[in-house]
Amino acid sequence: MRDIITPIASIAASLVVVGILLAAIGINPLEAYAVMFTSSFTSKFGLAELCVKTTPLIFTGLAVAIPLKAGLWNIGAEGQLYMGAFAASVVALYSNLPGYAMLPAMFLIAAIFGMGWAAIPAVLRAKFDLNEILSTLLLNYVAIYWVEYMVYGPMRGKEVYNFPYTDLFPDIATLPRFFGTRFHLGFFIAIIIAIAIYYLVNKTDFGFSLRVVGANPRAADYAGISRQKVIIYSMLLGGMFAGIAGMIEVSGIQLRLRPLISTGYGYAGIPVALLASGDPLLVIVSATLFGFLYVGGSVLQTTYSVPVAIVYVFQSLIVLFIIAGQSLRRRG
Amino acid sequence: MVDPNFIASLLASSIRAGTPLLYATLGEIITERSGVLNLGLEGIMITGAFTGFAISLATGNPWLGVLCGGIAGMLLALVHAFFSITLKANQSITGLMLVLLGLGITGFLGRNYIGEVAYYLDLIKIPVLSDLPYLGEVLFSHDPLAYLAVILAALLWFILFKTRYGLEIIAAGEKPEAADSMGVDVDRVRYISTLFGGFLVGIGGAYLSLAYAKLWTEGMTAGRGWISLALVIFSGWMPQRAIFGAYLFGGLDVLSFKLQAIGVGISYHFMKMLPYVVTILVLLVSVIRKRAAFGAPTALGTPYVRGKKE
Repeated sequence: MRDIITPIASIAASLVVVGILLAAIGINPLEAYAVMFTSSFTSKFGLAELCVKTTPLIFTGLAVAIPLKAGLWNIGAEGQLYMGAFAASVVALYSNLPGYAMLPAMFLIAAIFGMGWAAIPAVLRAKFDLNEILSTLLLNYVAIYWVEYMVYGPMRGKEVYNFPYTDLFPDIATLPRFFGTRFHLGFFIAIIIAIAIYYLVNKTDFGFSLRVVGANPRAADYAGISRQKVIIYSMLLGGMFAGIAGMIEVSGIQLRLRPLISTGYGYAGIPVALLASGDPLLVIVSATLFGFLYVGGSVLQTTYSVPVAIVYVFQSLIVLFIIAGQSLRRRG
Repeated sequence: MVDPNFIASLLASSIRAGTPLLYATLGEIITERSGVLNLGLEGIMITGAFTGFAISLATGNPWLGVLCGGIAGMLLALVHAFFSITLKANQSITGLMLVLLGLGITGFLGRNYIGEVAYYLDLIKIPVLSDLPYLGEVLFSHDPLAYLAVILAALLWFILFKTRYGLEIIAAGEKPEAADSMGVDVDRVRYISTLFGGFLVGIGGAYLSLAYAKLWTEGMTAGRGWISLALVIFSGWMPQRAIFGAYLFGGLDVLSFKLQAIGVGISYHFMKMLPYVVTILVLLVSVIRKRAAFGAPTALGTPYVRGKKE
C-alpha cells in the first residue's frame, strides 16, 4: 500500500515549523499562509504564475525521481539545469538558425548538456564508486559559477548597460505565451514528458531494470541486469530533464541568460520526487505544491519583505520529515 | 625580488584564513572517526557564523557569541545525530539537508544584520615574541581563537590516540560490532562525537563573522564547509595533519585575493569555483587509491545495528 500519511504529515509539520519562524520575526503565520493561498488561486495571474513555477519543478522532480528509482541521489539537478540553460542560450544567441529549427535545436542541445553534466558523477559512481550525492552537489556550484563567468564576461550583451545579462533572445527562440500572462508552452511540454516517463518506468524493460536495481541490487545481478549501465542511464536521463528545465526557463521566462535563473529549482526537485515517492504522474502533483510554495514565497517577500530563503527552509524540513517518517515506518 | 614584508603578511593572513577551516576540519574528524559522516558542515558553519554575530551584537560580548555559535552548531549536529544514529537514515541526504536548512534559516533571520558592526575578537600580541622581525607578525600576533585552534588540534590528537576514550571513538568508527562486544556503547560514543564535532564546526563559523570578516553577510561561508570536508580526507583523519592542510588552503584563499588586488588576472568566478573543484579532485584521488589507504574509518557512514551482520 502506498504511504500517504507520511507526505501529508511532513507537509503539515513543516508548515508548523515555518509558522513558528514567521512568528519569530513578527508575522502572523495564519495570515501569511492565507495571503499565499489567495494570491495563487484567486486570479488569472496567480494561476499563471503557479504554472510558471510548477513547470521547472516537474522537470527537476523527474530529474531526481528517475535516478532515485535506481537507488541514486541526483542532487545535481540545479547544475544540470544551469548547463542546459547555458547551452540553449548559446544556440539562441549565436546560431542564426531559421525559425522552425531554433526551438528544437535549443531543446536538443540543452538535453545533451544536462546529460553531459550528469555523466560526470554517473561515471565516477559507476567506475570508482564515488558518492554521487557529494559529486552532483559540488558540480552545481561549478555550473552556477560557470554561467556567472559567461554572463559577466564573454556572453555579456551589448544592450544591457552594466548588468550581467546576455542580450534578449530573438523572438524565434522564445516559447509562445498565452492569456496575456507569463504562462507558456513549457507547461504542456512538462506534462507530456511526465506522462511519457510514467510509461517508460512502468511499461518498458528499461523501467523494469531500473526498479530492480533500486529495490534489490543483488537480484539485478542474478537477473543479468548490468548495474553499472542502469546507474549511468538513470543519471543521464535525470540530467536530461534538468537540462531541458534550463532551456524552458530561459526561453519561456527569462528570455536571456543571467545569473540566478533558478532559485533552487534543482534542490526543490528532491522533496518533489520524495513526496511523489518517485511516481512520474504524482511528480506533477507534488511539483504543483512546491510551485505554490514558490509563488507564495515571493508574495510573502513583496507583502511582508520575508526573504525567499524561507523556501529553502521549507524544502529541507519536508525532506527531513519524510525521511524520519519512512525510518519510523520501517522500524515500527 | 619578493618583498619579505609581503611574504610575512601573506603567511600571517594564511593562518587567519585557515583557522575557521581548522576548527571545521577538526570537528568533522572527530565526527567521522566515530563512524558518522556529516556532510552538513557548510550549513553548520553558516549557522555558527550568524548566531555568533547576532549574540555578540546583542550582548556586546564576542566570547559569548563564539560560545553560542558553537552551541548552535551542536544543535544542528543533534538533528543529524538523531537521523543517522537513532533513525539510521541515509547520512548523506540528512547532512545535505542541514546545508539547505542552515543557509535558509540564516538567510531568513540574518536579513536585518547585514551592514551591522558587532564586537569582535581582539588580537593578542604575545609580549617580546611579537616584536621579532617577520616571525612576530606571522606567529605571535593573532586573536586567541587562532592560538586555541592549534592547541586544540594537539589535544585532539592526544585524546584520539593516547586515551581510552579515543580508542572507543576509533573502535566505533572502525569495527562497531567489536566495540560493542567490548562493552562500548557505540550509539552513545557516536552521539557525543557528532555533537562535539558540530560544536567545533559552529565555532569555525563564529570565527568567520567575529574574527576574520568581522561582519555578517548571507552565505559568507562561501564553500568553506565543503573545503573542510576535503581537508578531512587530505589530512588522513589525523588532527595534527589538519593544521597544515587548513593553513595551506587558507593561504591559497588569501593568495588568490592578493594576486587579484595587484592585478594578476584570474577570474573572480573561477576563484569561487575552486573550492568545489578541489573537493571533487581530493575525493576522486581518495576513492581511486581506495579509502582505506587514506585511513578512512571502515564503518564511516554506516549505521550500527546491533546483531546485524554487515
